[in-house]
Amino acid sequence: MSVAKKPTRRDFMKTTGAAFGVPYVITSAALGNSERPAASDRIVMGGIGIGNMGRGDQGAFLGRKDVQYVALSDVREEVRDKSKGNIDRHYNNGDCKAYNDFRELLARTDIDAVHIATPDHWHAIMVIEACRNGKDVYCQKPETLTLREGPLMIASARRYGRVVSGGSQRVLEDYRKYVVPAWAGEFGKIKSINVNVGPLPQLCNLPGETKSEAIDWDLWLGPAPWAPYNAKRCSGSFSINGASWRSFSDYSGGGMTDWGAHHFGGATFICDVRDQQPYEVNYFDDADGKYLAFRYQNGLTIYHNKPKTDQLLIEGTPGEKLAPKPVPGYKGEGGIYGDFIECVKTRERPFRDIESAVNTASLAHLGNIAYQLKRSLKWDSVKQEFVGDAEANRMTDRARREPWQL
Amino acid sequence: MLDTAFDALKTFDWGSDLAALAPIEDAATASHGKPEARQDLENRLITALKGILTRDAQDYICRKLANVGTAAAVPALAGLLVNKGNSHMSRFALEQIPAPEAASALRDVLPKVNGDLKVGVISSIGARRDRVAVDALSGLLADSDASVARAATLALGAIGSAESVTALQTALRAAGDRRQTIIDAILSCAESLLANNQIANASSIYKAFTDESQPRLVRLAATRGLLACASQPAVRSI
Repeated sequence: MSVAKKPTRRDFMKTTGAAFGVPYVITSAALGNSERPAASDRIVMGGIGIGNMGRGDQGAFLGRKDVQYVALSDVREEVRDKSKGNIDRHYNNGDCKAYNDFRELLARTDIDAVHIATPDHWHAIMVIEACRNGKDVYCQKPETLTLREGPLMIASARRYGRVVSGGSQRVLEDYRKYVVPAWAGEFGKIKSINVNVGPLPQLCNLPGETKSEAIDWDLWLGPAPWAPYNAKRCSGSFSINGASWRSFSDYSGGGMTDWGAHHFGGATFICDVRDQQPYEVNYFDDADGKYLAFRYQNGLTIYHNKPKTDQLLIEGTPGEKLAPKPVPGYKGEGGIYGDFIECVKTRERPFRDIESAVNTASLAHLGNIAYQLKRSLKWDSVKQEFVGDAEANRMTDRARREPWQL
Repeated sequence: MLDTAFDALKTFDWGSDLAALAPIEDAATASHGKPEARQDLENRLITALKGILTRDAQDYICRKLANVGTAAAVPALAGLLVNKGNSHMSRFALEQIPAPEAASALRDVLPKVNGDLKVGVISSIGARRDRVAVDALSGLLADSDASVARAATLALGAIGSAESVTALQTALRAAGDRRQTIIDAILSCAESLLANNQIANASSIYKAFTDESQPRLVRLAATRGLLACASQPAVRSI
């Protein structure tokens, strides 16, 4: 009688194509022990964009016993070298491959999952390409740069059954103190909540300067309009006031999306509308300043920068108590990273599934457009277009610099 | 104020103060619903684009024409599509101008550009979901430049019509190492057909990719597609 071999997780995960041409040597580490799963049961990972956030993400995944980190990609030579050194020291070998071009990493058939922490203008292209290559993805927030990108990323994830997680740990971890009573029904029906965040993105017109680092500038720009190198233009610092790419509209939605991913994410979680987008954005410009009101079909209003209103101020229904609901949380262990890895193993949807991440980012994009046009807008979330406003619809996407394409 | 801003454009370059152009930004917003003011602004932008400007100034004008341009701006923009330094920002505007003249300009320039510029034009045609371009794109599926062929494949997937599917299925027979991209585009078309309630067409596409000879990832996608077809109300009611 023959006994069928129990399939390992990697048997299960393996997709197609010839194995990548790397030598495979069975070592004691590969066989696993009580401390660490066998190599065949580890998630093989790579990372793209290893700057500030990417380095943190990499450290979190590298520290997991159920992950084997084998490759990285970054357009900065120093970052690549340092990062490879860290990984090789961690594993006490020299196996990690470092790529300038992310496409080489995504083409490897031995990699199960990638984390992406490039500037935002790269996210959609990379996430979609990763899904086409059968990879699961942990993508830093804000996941999108334009409204059009979100549905395409979701479609690609769903098409291939990929686990794609967005990246804000704060949505669950920072706002739990509001989420728990809200989901317990203690506020009654929530009528409104206020989010204070900004600023809006700005056009970048910094002068060109001599490169102060070894960087593949054309690849850093990628789908964004060509512009001369300037250290502030491509700085990965967390500034949203003109000293990093996060400030500039060609690469980011500004503070509105960068911090908005956290705060709007928290607000939509508190109010349990993570699976929705608003149908209308009302623009106000009065004596107290400019602010927005996002209207939802269930009667909820999410205010943005409502004057004289505290961050996450919740207007409930006094005297009313709703039936409690179980609060969703991370699966597995290890915060948002553990949630992603657990979902890679179980094929469940992660806490920050790409769909809710896109809904959060879209809220911020809708707000940016309303502020820029200085008027209220109606939004058809099914068709993903503004209603009766051709001018606003021109702002749902932008042409990508050749040769990049969604 | 607006005159001063357009004067500033003549010497505008990287490092210049963007505040000098603020009146143009203001005029773009303020002219909403005011056809005469909007036309005046567009005419000024077109005239400026025809002048001698830095690339940065040209780019700026293209950004504004993306917001306010009409068919009137198309000739000036179309002339830039063949220039390596301007082609992208010309598309930046043309991709967003709803007028059919903008779509024609992109189609018409296809035979006149090669390499990356051609890839860019194809991607803009795909983003516009220009069904008129399906024949032209189909003819590029076997282009000797692999990047052009890939771009045409993805653009046909974005357009998502039944005609796109026919062209892609034909190309698939001789696909070689481009097979995965073509299948991805066909699956994208199937999703568009499904979204437009053409369930039988979508279902037949998915069925073709469920056999054991297909890569696992493709079979998974096709199976998920078939399940999506089966869950459609029209099917459930049968």
